[in-house]
Amino acid sequence: MKHTLGFYLRLYGMILAQDLKSKMSYRADFIISTVGMIATNVAGFVSFWILFRNFPSIGGWGYYEILFLYGFSLVSLTPVQCLFDNNWSLRQYVYSGDFIKYCFRPVNLFFYYQSEVFDIKGLGQLAFGIAMIVYAWGKLGLAVTVLAVVKLLVFLLTASLVMIALQNAAAATCFWIQNSFYVLDFVTRFKDYARYPVTIFSPVFRFVFTFLMPIAFIAYYPSLVILRPDEVPLLSWLSPVIGVVFFFLSYRFWMYGAMKYSGTGS
Amino acid sequence: MSSVIEIKNVTKEFKVLNRREGLKGSIQDLFSRDYKIVRAVDNISMQVQQGEIVGYLGPNGAGKSTTIKMMTGVLEPTSGEILVSGNVPYENRTRNAQQIGVVFGQRSQLWWALPLIESYRLLKEIYCIPDADYTHMLELYRSLVDLEPLLHKPVRQMSLGQRTLSDILAAFLHNPKIVFLDEPTIGLDVSMKAKIRTLIQALNQEKHTTVILTTHDMGDVDALCRRVVIIDKGKMLYDNDMEHLKGFFGSYRTLKLRTDGDHAAQAAAMQKMLPELKVSADTEWISVLVDESRAHVIDVLAQLQKQYTIRDMQLQEISTEEIIKKIYEEGVQ
Repeated sequence: MKHTLGFYLRLYGMILAQDLKSKMSYRADFIISTVGMIATNVAGFVSFWILFRNFPSIGGWGYYEILFLYGFSLVSLTPVQCLFDNNWSLRQYVYSGDFIKYCFRPVNLFFYYQSEVFDIKGLGQLAFGIAMIVYAWGKLGLAVTVLAVVKLLVFLLTASLVMIALQNAAAATCFWIQNSFYVLDFVTRFKDYARYPVTIFSPVFRFVFTFLMPIAFIAYYPSLVILRPDEVPLLSWLSPVIGVVFFFLSYRFWMYGAMKYSGTGS
Repeated sequence: MSSVIEIKNVTKEFKVLNRREGLKGSIQDLFSRDYKIVRAVDNISMQVQQGEIVGYLGPNGAGKSTTIKMMTGVLEPTSGEILVSGNVPYENRTRNAQQIGVVFGQRSQLWWALPLIESYRLLKEIYCIPDADYTHMLELYRSLVDLEPLLHKPVRQMSLGQRTLSDILAAFLHNPKIVFLDEPTIGLDVSMKAKIRTLIQALNQEKHTTVILTTHDMGDVDALCRRVVIIDKGKMLYDNDMEHLKGFFGSYRTLKLRTDGDHAAQAAAMQKMLPELKVSADTEWISVLVDESRAHVIDVLAQLQKQYTIRDMQLQEISTEEIIKKIYEEGVQ
């Protein structure tokens, strides 16, 4: 049976609503994690601000441009945080054999697995990110046109696919190896570098971050389309394609692993 | 009557690395190509008709779960053919999933944090169950079990029995053609077991659902199954009526007695009295193995009661393990 996109969106909405309801019922947990999330974001911003008190620009990038980049990376890293958090539990499900319970439903396995968890903590990051983008946008004196906003949204959306793809691929390694936590942790650590212009790194890392571990597509390349509209490199225009392609490949890899999975014990 | 499950010469092999011992061995294993082939399911064939309840028995590691995983589409058979309600399960996993319901041991498939009714609403959406069918099904459930107290309880707060009950109801919710129940009564108390058995029986009759039941509990089999399939070490040992099986082995029942005085001496005396039966004794019970085709338990009991004061008695049916042992020793069919 083939389901339509509408079917999946509605189902996701229902699961999400239920999940939020049940999360609110753990009130203490909800409040503590909200406070923790705000603190994390504030701390991140403060260290960024201190850095710029001492250096007025980094690699030819001014304060507000970097702030924009920072905001862009926070927003484009929100979906992976909110919607794909169940990837972190994958290896436990696979190890214990509980993963099999996801295999019996007449819906897409990847969708069904990821839909189970919505991590509400990512929403604070989203709010911070949007505020930074709007503030920097104003300070940089960029024009507010329909085209610019559409561009921003398209590039944000596709940029978010890059980190999702990296995380899917890293999580899916658990179908083959036991200590996949380290792979996932390793890949996740790189996302902190996404908020800096890739030009400040040495050529070796520039190559790595562009082609091997393509975190430069999380914020740097797509931001250039907005920030430096006169000198957009080809890689920036390609970034939506790269996001979509990477996501698709990671999805196939994940599904391939899941299909190979045979379950342990009874 | 048409068959909903057709299995033809199905074999499933797993490649297992021959592991070496010690640290040095582990390092060698990293590069090893030294695999051995383990045959978990070996050339099994069977057909199941719509509406049947089939008891699928065998000791641990016999290949029961592997067969079920192949029927549900999780595993691909190495060779042979499987058709489940017309589908090849592995190739059409999602289409197959619409036709089947699965309860896998103690692994709840419901949403842990949600009240049961919300889980059922999500399942209604996932399986595209029409409103009328859904309402009808819940009505049926209400008539069979005391559903109300469960509906608004989050699954994580349920007892094992309540959770199993909820999971079984969830598996039948979309009115599937076949339901696979893997050890549904494991770890439950006697009254809950009885409740679950009655429920399965009722749902099977009401909806004409085919049920494949794996279990170690002969009580489940006795209560539910007319047909029994036994496998061991991947091979099919038996596939026939429960009655037929009983005709072979179940005609033996063990009469257990507790009397005053020394069991061993009395057992020896009883053996003399009943030369055609086998009497043995331990500190707790005197066991008399009665072949019911030759003597009736009641008659034996009456005869013994004339001479001995019987304090307590039990009647024991033969167990799966004993049946399998006997099939090995004596063969069947």
